[in-house]
Amino acid sequence: MFSKKMVMIIGVIVLIAVNIILLSVFNRRYISYYRPGRIAISLIAPFQKASTSSIHFVRDIWRHYFFVVNVAKENDNYQKALNKAFENNIQLKEFKLSNFRLRNLLNFEKTITDRVLSAEVIGKDPSPWFKTVLIDKGKNDGVETGMAVVVPKGIAGQVTDVSANYSKVLLIIDHNSAVDALVQNDRARGIIKGGMAEQCLFKYVLRKHDIEIGNIVVSSGLDGVFPKGLAVGYVSAVIKPKSGIFQEVTVTPYVDFEKLEEVLIVLNPKKKKFEPEQ
Amino acid sequence: MTYCLHILICLSLIIIQTTVMPYIPLFERFYDLLTPFIIYLSIFRSVRESIVIVFIFGFFMDIVSGGPLGLYLTAYVWLFIGVRWAITFLHVGDSLLLPFVVAAGVLMENLIFVGISAMFEQSPRIFETMASTIVVQVLWALFTGPLFLMFFSYSHRQWDRWFKEILAKKN
Repeated sequence: MFSKKMVMIIGVIVLIAVNIILLSVFNRRYISYYRPGRIAISLIAPFQKASTSSIHFVRDIWRHYFFVVNVAKENDNYQKALNKAFENNIQLKEFKLSNFRLRNLLNFEKTITDRVLSAEVIGKDPSPWFKTVLIDKGKNDGVETGMAVVVPKGIAGQVTDVSANYSKVLLIIDHNSAVDALVQNDRARGIIKGGMAEQCLFKYVLRKHDIEIGNIVVSSGLDGVFPKGLAVGYVSAVIKPKSGIFQEVTVTPYVDFEKLEEVLIVLNPKKKKFEPEQ
Repeated sequence: MTYCLHILICLSLIIIQTTVMPYIPLFERFYDLLTPFIIYLSIFRSVRESIVIVFIFGFFMDIVSGGPLGLYLTAYVWLFIGVRWAITFLHVGDSLLLPFVVAAGVLMENLIFVGISAMFEQSPRIFETMASTIVVQVLWALFTGPLFLMFFSYSHRQWDRWFKEILAKKN
């Protein structure tokens, strides 16, 4: 009834359709780390860890033994910076104490927990289109999907997949990432989305706000993932279109994702349910 | 034993790609190292021997990558089918054609990625950088792709010879 060529064409069309349907289903990443996925990650991750450790070992030897002269010079600079930081630290302690008093006064809930877990980056995404990293801490260490991942400079990303000993972190520069944030000065709110060339787009910021280049963007804490007040980056470009209600803001993250090696996972306890006062 | 070699090569390529290459600025926009291997399997190895590897490592790549699950699997399967189809009328074993085959393979894989990314969300601004990345990757593939194919072919010959020697010693 049908020629061989016709059957082949129909077969290819059916295959493409099935492929697209399956991709649509699997695009909901919640099911990504089911059993075969965990086996795959357990097979690859130890080798990645060994390879990364070797690279770090060689690089550390290079840095420590061949750059001693530079280190000595840097050390002088660090000493000066340390002295200055010491002064700032005292000042910040004062702020902390007054902040503590004020928070108690206003009965504010603590916005960030002190419980953080350090982890090492053992692998990066094989594709230039996606920005994820693999870290060496997993479910056995208390890591859960959705936990915030930070570094001292600011927000790094969010845990998206967890296996027994390893987790995958979606970086804030990935186009699938979203962080609720606000400009520190005028509290203009928006969503930080991954952009291009390791930059982020600060979306849905109303035109009425006067945002300037260099303004600091911090997390708002309203997304329930990232603690409030963590640095995200600084505004590097602002375009105010003649029409429309939003402006286009580009944010350069403080975190250097190229050199991301260690991260901190914020082990936030489950948020208490709101209970009205008796 | 051939499967062992394939698994060893694929694992090494994934590890190099995810741990070594990100630290070398020159290879910032290098193409997926498994692409030439899939092309090698399509051209020089049997379907029975290759298809298992294509599926397993497509899935592995999906797991280590941040893309939608099935993205790499889709790309590898269609790349495999495409090259198998091409060798029915092209003498791609010819060393002069190999750079172009690898470049076309890299282009095809990227087009699949772009197509799927366009299907699921994505802001239009993201596609601006994609074009330049694809061009860079294709150029890399054009110049380095055949070297990978030669390396895979050489590894295979050495592996077979080594295995035959072991068998001969046993007998």
